[in-house]
Amino acid sequence: MEFSFTQDQIELRDGVRAFLDGTHGPEVLRRLDAEGGRDPAIWRSLVEMGLTGLIVPEAQGGLGLGLIEAVLVAVELGRADVSEPIVDTALVAPRLIADEARLAAIAVGELKVALAHRVNPWVADADQAGLVLGGAATGERLESADPLRRLFAVERADADPAMLDLSALTAAAQLVGASERMLALATDYAKDREQFGQPIGAFQAIKHHLASVAVALEFARPVLWRAAWALDHGHARAPVHVSHAKLAATDAAMQAAETAIQVHGAMGYTYEVDLHYWMKRAWALAGTWGDRAFHLRRLDAAVIDGAMAIGPDQTFETGMQHG
Amino acid sequence: MDLLYTPEQQAFRAEVRAWMEAHVPKEPLPTLEGRVGFDAHVAWERTLASGNWGMVTWPEVYGGRGLDLIRWLIFEEEYYRAGAPLRANQNGIFLLGPTIMEFGTDEQKARFLTPMANGEVMWAQAWSEPNAGSDMAAIRSRAVREGDDYVISGQKTWSSRAAFADWGFGLFRTDPESKRHKGLSFILVPLDAPGVTIRPIRQLHGETGFAEIFFDEVRVPAANRIAGEGEGWNVAMATAGFERGLMLRSPARFQAAAKRLVELYREREADASPAAREAVVKAWAEAEAYALNTYKVASTVMAGGKIGAEASLNKIFWSELDRALHRTAMSLMGAAAELKAVGGRVNQWLEGYIFSLSGPIYAGSNEIQRNIVAERLLGLPRLGAG
Repeated sequence: MEFSFTQDQIELRDGVRAFLDGTHGPEVLRRLDAEGGRDPAIWRSLVEMGLTGLIVPEAQGGLGLGLIEAVLVAVELGRADVSEPIVDTALVAPRLIADEARLAAIAVGELKVALAHRVNPWVADADQAGLVLGGAATGERLESADPLRRLFAVERADADPAMLDLSALTAAAQLVGASERMLALATDYAKDREQFGQPIGAFQAIKHHLASVAVALEFARPVLWRAAWALDHGHARAPVHVSHAKLAATDAAMQAAETAIQVHGAMGYTYEVDLHYWMKRAWALAGTWGDRAFHLRRLDAAVIDGAMAIGPDQTFETGMQHG
Repeated sequence: MDLLYTPEQQAFRAEVRAWMEAHVPKEPLPTLEGRVGFDAHVAWERTLASGNWGMVTWPEVYGGRGLDLIRWLIFEEEYYRAGAPLRANQNGIFLLGPTIMEFGTDEQKARFLTPMANGEVMWAQAWSEPNAGSDMAAIRSRAVREGDDYVISGQKTWSSRAAFADWGFGLFRTDPESKRHKGLSFILVPLDAPGVTIRPIRQLHGETGFAEIFFDEVRVPAANRIAGEGEGWNVAMATAGFERGLMLRSPARFQAAAKRLVELYREREADASPAAREAVVKAWAEAEAYALNTYKVASTVMAGGKIGAEASLNKIFWSELDRALHRTAMSLMGAAAELKAVGGRVNQWLEGYIFSLSGPIYAGSNEIQRNIVAERLLGLPRLGAG
């Protein structure tokens, strides 16, 4: 029993974070917003960073890593608000595809994948995808509250439970990353902005709001990690753990978003501060791959209707041990 | 990351489970906050000690088992799974014990730790004063050095379990000229020493586990001081860290309560609201999150990491979870929530709800904890410092 990351995992996370901090700052979001599209140069840089091959098996040219790594990277992608279809293509699709040629094409960044699912009425980035898994998209574009999202109507969508769990897990991870960034933006603003002769962050009212976000975020993280581990190992309870992670991450993100705009004051209500990109991404991710009600129902069916053993000895599946 | 238990860890779980099943009292004990209940809980401490379960993480030489934190978590899970009583000596084993382990001399360790683990000496904390609650640096009680002794005068208040405990530990001002957190020393005092007067305070639930302690020229040997003279503040801050941190509120306690809450919901489902159902699931989910976080921190500590201001996140989370959990239970109880006994048994939900109201206050109020999180983890400025 060890609930921590390996040195390799920490280095992967730190490496991806440093790379995205250097290449994908708020000015990139503003440019993409103004230009209304995707930038092939960003996709190429993600490919060069090796992200498209992360969980693709080694035999098909990938790194063959697991969902812990996928989640660590998805947190960073959420923290940087990367809108390219990198999560769907690189962190979800390889687990749903058996075709070796397609896996190899994903690893080298040549194939982008979009995901259609019954709980999601719209498909993201269908126009540039070489493959729409789980259904068919139409050409009809819908406008999202998030200016960096590109959604398309769906003609037909399946209900693949594996796709749902993988996507809900990576959405939860991106929500955690977005929450980290919103907390950081609000904290930085509170250190700079002066009122009544003080930085507003010196006042308890502001401190306590931000501390509450830090609490919610800190306790969403290990829920996410357990879900990633359980899903990676095919545990029977993994779908329940994923729903728990999506709920915890959604609640933390909505709290982070509402707190961050409050701390920014009227500036937070403008298009001029960076905050709104993450806030709108959080709204979008909160409703996608199963909204709050969807995951709450999955959780309470397991907990209350008695389908799952609960209690202090059931944090992990105690019946399972190393042989 | 490896979330499977080893065969050794599973065998340890089975050992704890078997012992608990054979020894945990069949009926819940009376409340720890009253004399009769306290004595019953002390008897339970001695039963635990007879099985060498008094403090499993302590070195064997002091009556422990030298177990790592993962085994401590397994022990706690089995403890609460079995419905074992609350620890009468929690001030000693979870607060003072780790403090002595870190700052005490070998002689102090031998003298104080073993009787603590064996359930022979019960400890009270003597931190707060009438004008030094959350602002603990405002302490005025004095300890004046006379030869090999300190002579202590002053008053402490809100001392948990002081009405029944044998010894107290607290901070006293050893430098009369000093201000704030300087010039304080951490001293252990037998509560039956001449000059000590205990005045019990009736708490919200009507019991008297709290007390005021008056010191009128109480003479204690200087050997009762932990760490150097004037170093008390740093020692006390470490103790407070233990209080907020990993060990005082084990996650199993909340997971067991959440399980009981789910069972209560199943009984009352016909009359419950959809909002109550969500609150029940949320309480369960947060108890799980707290457990997961504790495993995470335990793994970090075992790998050589330290807990710093993160302990404040912990304290905020468990105290607010406990209050919400019990509030939800009270709403599910309906009209029966107000009764002190239900069906001939103590109304544990009412008792638990009342106790949960103290969580966000003691061990440093949650307002203080949020300041610590904001200043030390988020780096926000102190008021007036800019």
